[in-house]
Amino acid sequence: MKRSRVPFYTTLAVLVFFYLPLIILSVNSFNDSRYGGPWNGFTVRWYVRLFQDRQIWHALQNTLVIAVGATVVSMVVGTMAAFALNRYRSRLQMTHYGMIYAPLIVPDILMGMSLLLFFVALNVKLGLFTIFLAHVTFCVSYVAMVVLSRLQDFDFSLMEAAQDLGASHWTAFRRVMLPLIMPGIAAGGLLAFTLSLDDFVVTFFVAGPGSTTLPIHIYSMMKHGAPAVINALSVILLLVTFVLVSASRTIREKLS
Amino acid sequence: MKKMTAMILPGLLCAMLLSGCSDPRPVLNIYNWADYMNPAVLKKFEKQYNCRIVLDTFDSNEAMYAKLKAGAQGYDLIFPTSYMAGIMKEQGMLQPLKQELIPNIKNVDRKYLALTQDPQMEYGVPYLISVSGIGYNKARLGELPPTWELFGRPDITRRCTLLNDMRESIGAALKGLGYSLNTTSSKELAEAQQVLIAWKKNIAKFEVEEALRGLSSSEFLLVHAYNGDILQAMTENKDLGFLVPKEGTSIASDDMVIPVTADQVELAHAFINFIHEPANAAENMEFVSYLSPNLEGQELVSEAFRTNPAIFIDPAVIAKSEVIRDLGKDNDKYTRVWDAVKAAE
Repeated sequence: MKRSRVPFYTTLAVLVFFYLPLIILSVNSFNDSRYGGPWNGFTVRWYVRLFQDRQIWHALQNTLVIAVGATVVSMVVGTMAAFALNRYRSRLQMTHYGMIYAPLIVPDILMGMSLLLFFVALNVKLGLFTIFLAHVTFCVSYVAMVVLSRLQDFDFSLMEAAQDLGASHWTAFRRVMLPLIMPGIAAGGLLAFTLSLDDFVVTFFVAGPGSTTLPIHIYSMMKHGAPAVINALSVILLLVTFVLVSASRTIREKLS
Repeated sequence: MKKMTAMILPGLLCAMLLSGCSDPRPVLNIYNWADYMNPAVLKKFEKQYNCRIVLDTFDSNEAMYAKLKAGAQGYDLIFPTSYMAGIMKEQGMLQPLKQELIPNIKNVDRKYLALTQDPQMEYGVPYLISVSGIGYNKARLGELPPTWELFGRPDITRRCTLLNDMRESIGAALKGLGYSLNTTSSKELAEAQQVLIAWKKNIAKFEVEEALRGLSSSEFLLVHAYNGDILQAMTENKDLGFLVPKEGTSIASDDMVIPVTADQVELAHAFINFIHEPANAAENMEFVSYLSPNLEGQELVSEAFRTNPAIFIDPAVIAKSEVIRDLGKDNDKYTRVWDAVKAAE
């Protein structure tokens, strides 16, 4: 029997779908046109402008600080929430589930506005810290949902076995359970990281002086600026991501 | 995992604390559009007044307004478009300016001020002016007369766009008929509706962003757009030109205003005064390529700047132009016309 060519074409289509936009983006970052339309000649001026623009780097720094912070905290809190939801079934946990679920369906604008009103009512100074809290608020939900699905497949008899063999509750959790649900936590964390990285609506409302993030800056560049600079930045970020991914793979292969 | 957390969290805390900063200089928090000020001018101000400028950006007047209205604080100087400055003033969100601290505003064009809602500059000082007009492909269409009637031309059928903005497009039709673009006369609006429906049959669509891309790639030959946007397209494509219709058009400025919640009130005044010092005004407008209403500053700009139709607007046309005003209840009349135009086949 001849091997089907369908998988080959599917793979090809998926690769094109994923990578063609990235290629176009990379090419356009060298296009001497603000609109990224027709090819106006080769230029590195967007890169030059990028490295001269203090604002963009400051915004990028803010974005990364918030994304890393919100990811770490929401991984911890989200996992704890998922654990509680999985272990206990009471009226309280039903409410808890609803509350964790809500940020997934509440429109961003509503969330941004209500968080802003909340911070203003409490007289909290708007800035990086309020953005961080807002991001944790919605990131926790995503992490909790991902970890919860992982926990549903988790066999709790493994925990009991470990405790039978003399492990304390904490040790059993740390050495048996955590490694097994780690892929779920990591996946939730990655999701949280990307969500935090590109959130605009919620961030806009809770941002204060000096805490402009990259998405806010990019949107406001539409009116007077040159969004093409962002193509250049995206290419650099892409390269960094590729380098990191391949480096971590090499390290893992060396270790194993 | 734990090691990673243990490493990241303190780092994060440090970063957060550091951004709180240990710099003893006073901080002026400016809230503006991105890429709308010359960094060199900002540096000069920081040096002269021994302060630090923190610049934050917004992407629309409405979002900025919603945010401040909900109680966001900390900004000392904001740059809303004049209509929004008017709304903020009515809502009591702005503080009156201390004129004695900003002597340089004597340089601001009185003729332009006469068109605005705040001619005495009690609450805001115009920063940069923009107009809407017509961007077109000079190589394909040749030199054209500057008039709104161009949108009825048969040779550009389906190759032109009008702004997808109720007041701008109805305003263009009204101006073309010789009426005020703030009219509340039902008869005049009905006439404008007829004109606009006739134009609609000729244009490709009502559009804002896509129009510029289309003009730059010659998909569209003639578009209704703001001068700043066309200017950016013109710097790339030498075939493009810009016209300000002789009947007059809509004119607007972004204003510098100080919210009631500002901390650095004096420094904010100093900044307004600094930006209207003729040399600084000139340096700033050359960088962002928008016209400053500062008459002394206009004397100092380069010849290229002065002869660019998309930047330097003929004073005679400015005199015929109008600022779009909020019409309160009569806004409904415009909405009805707009709905009728949008629904027309």
